Amino acid sequence: MNSPDHAPVIELRGFTKDYGNGRGAFDVSFAIEPGEVFGYLGPNGAGKTVTMRNLMGFIRPDSGTARIGGLDCFRDRARIQANLGYLPGEIACMDEMTGTAFLEFMARMKKLRDRTRMNELVDYFELDPARRIRKMSKGTKQKVGLVCAFMGRPDIILLDEPTSGLDPLMQSRFIELVLEEKRRGATIILSSHLFDEVERTCDRVAFIRAGRLAAVEHMDDVRRSRKRVFVVTFADAGERDRYLAAHTEAHAVGAAAAETLVTGAMDAFVKDLAAYRVADLTAREQTLEELFMHLYGASEEAQPHASASKGGSHE
Amino acid sequence: MSSTLFAKELRANAFVTAIIAAVLAMYIGVIVSMFDPDLGASLDMMMESMPELFAAFGMANAATTLTDFLINYLYGFLLTMFPFVLILIIVNKLMVRYIDRGTMAYLLATPNSRTRIAVTLAGVLVAVLVLLVAVTTALEVGFSEALFPGDLDTEALLRMNAGLLALWLFLAGMCFFSACLFSNAGLALWAGGGLGILFFLMQMVGQAGDKFEWLKDVNPLMLYDATGLAASEDGAIGGAVALAAVGLVLFAAAVAVFDRRNLSV
Repeated sequence: MNSPDHAPVIELRGFTKDYGNGRGAFDVSFAIEPGEVFGYLGPNGAGKTVTMRNLMGFIRPDSGTARIGGLDCFRDRARIQANLGYLPGEIACMDEMTGTAFLEFMARMKKLRDRTRMNELVDYFELDPARRIRKMSKGTKQKVGLVCAFMGRPDIILLDEPTSGLDPLMQSRFIELVLEEKRRGATIILSSHLFDEVERTCDRVAFIRAGRLAAVEHMDDVRRSRKRVFVVTFADAGERDRYLAAHTEAHAVGAAAAETLVTGAMDAFVKDLAAYRVADLTAREQTLEELFMHLYGASEEAQPHASASKGGSHE
Repeated sequence: MSSTLFAKELRANAFVTAIIAAVLAMYIGVIVSMFDPDLGASLDMMMESMPELFAAFGMANAATTLTDFLINYLYGFLLTMFPFVLILIIVNKLMVRYIDRGTMAYLLATPNSRTRIAVTLAGVLVAVLVLLVAVTTALEVGFSEALFPGDLDTEALLRMNAGLLALWLFLAGMCFFSACLFSNAGLALWAGGGLGILFFLMQMVGQAGDKFEWLKDVNPLMLYDATGLAASEDGAIGGAVALAAVGLVLFAAAVAVFDRRNLSV
């Protein structure tokens, strides 16, 4: 996946950090190209934050290497930070400070001379930084963290669950900001358990599950293979059973409804349905889990760890 | 050292330091004013009525000079215990909680090395203690000169207080090291803190009864000998130097450990 003409900005090779009880990250490898927005997607507790901590040089891997800009993430962490923006997954700013004081403090710690970008971002997120951080809502604290991560105009940005706590308006502002930074040429990795924010921003996406990387895919491919789930409510149970008998891929839900996946051939699905008495029809996007199962269901036997974690930690 | 972080933490810990300084000021004022060059006998009488209790707090010697009087009533307990409490509070605030709550992540997400950050935080603790010993000295000299001009041996006091600072540095180094070493927040605070409390208890028990004299020999706090420092005894000076040296080694070890460890922040 690496193009030979330029080295990857962020590179993990065989990264393993075992916290016991199946927690941690195991043999994770990926490479992120300059200017790429890379989604790191997985359920809670899948190992996203561990990977971020490793990239930040907070933890030393049990085995494997992590490099940013060719530098070792643990050994050269201070040098790497000169050009990096980071949003921690847990909001824990300095509670007793006001937002303004905290941002000023962080700007000085980052040795930033110019406060223009900081003020721009404060306005952009409609952040009122005058209050004490302790008194701020979760979303407001998240905005403080986001301003911190972006205010240095870094070339590399690590974002751990960036939209948690943000309302929908601010979520879309965040997405706009990521796209703007991407146009500027920043390389971004963002972890999430929400498909939507990843879908709207990322070029490629990695799926992590129970600490193991299930796949790294181009967003376009993922989008194409993502299917719609239709729930068809029939006039009565008999009608539903008639449908199920003819369509073995569908399965019953509730009293008289069936759920089915539609692959591409929407026209055929609708025309076929016309032969039945339908009371209601609803569609939804595949959930992340379903997408997983679809993308990697076939190869699960070949990857015992993936099937073992089927009932694993997700909320 | 990061001057930004240093200034921020110094300000953040100014209030609690001021409280402890105020408590010490009150005790110093009260105890200096209780000194009576002629009627030291009344306190001595009280001491004789409850010798074990007074001894436990290091107040066993009959004090005739103002310097001895201060050593007896301030240096055995008050000037060690209150600064120890301050050390625990500050170590908890600027290291244990930062790691436990993940705030450390913000500090490390800046182009400052871990060594630089740890040295700065240790520097704040040391600066607070130096400040406190300066305030203590000023108060002692001030109260003494105001109430009993010329009675205080100021040079002896400076030696005693330099030794006192060495003792504080030892306790601070121990607590800071523990804070950097352990991942568990409770252990990080109380491994060092608990050891300190144990030393204080050993000191009290060791001073109170002959049966537990041996406790004095294994207690690092006993390296601090205010009377000996006042008299410029070599052993006492050596003890103070040893305390300061061990304290600095502990600080250095703490920084080294912090630089190498995993931080789940």
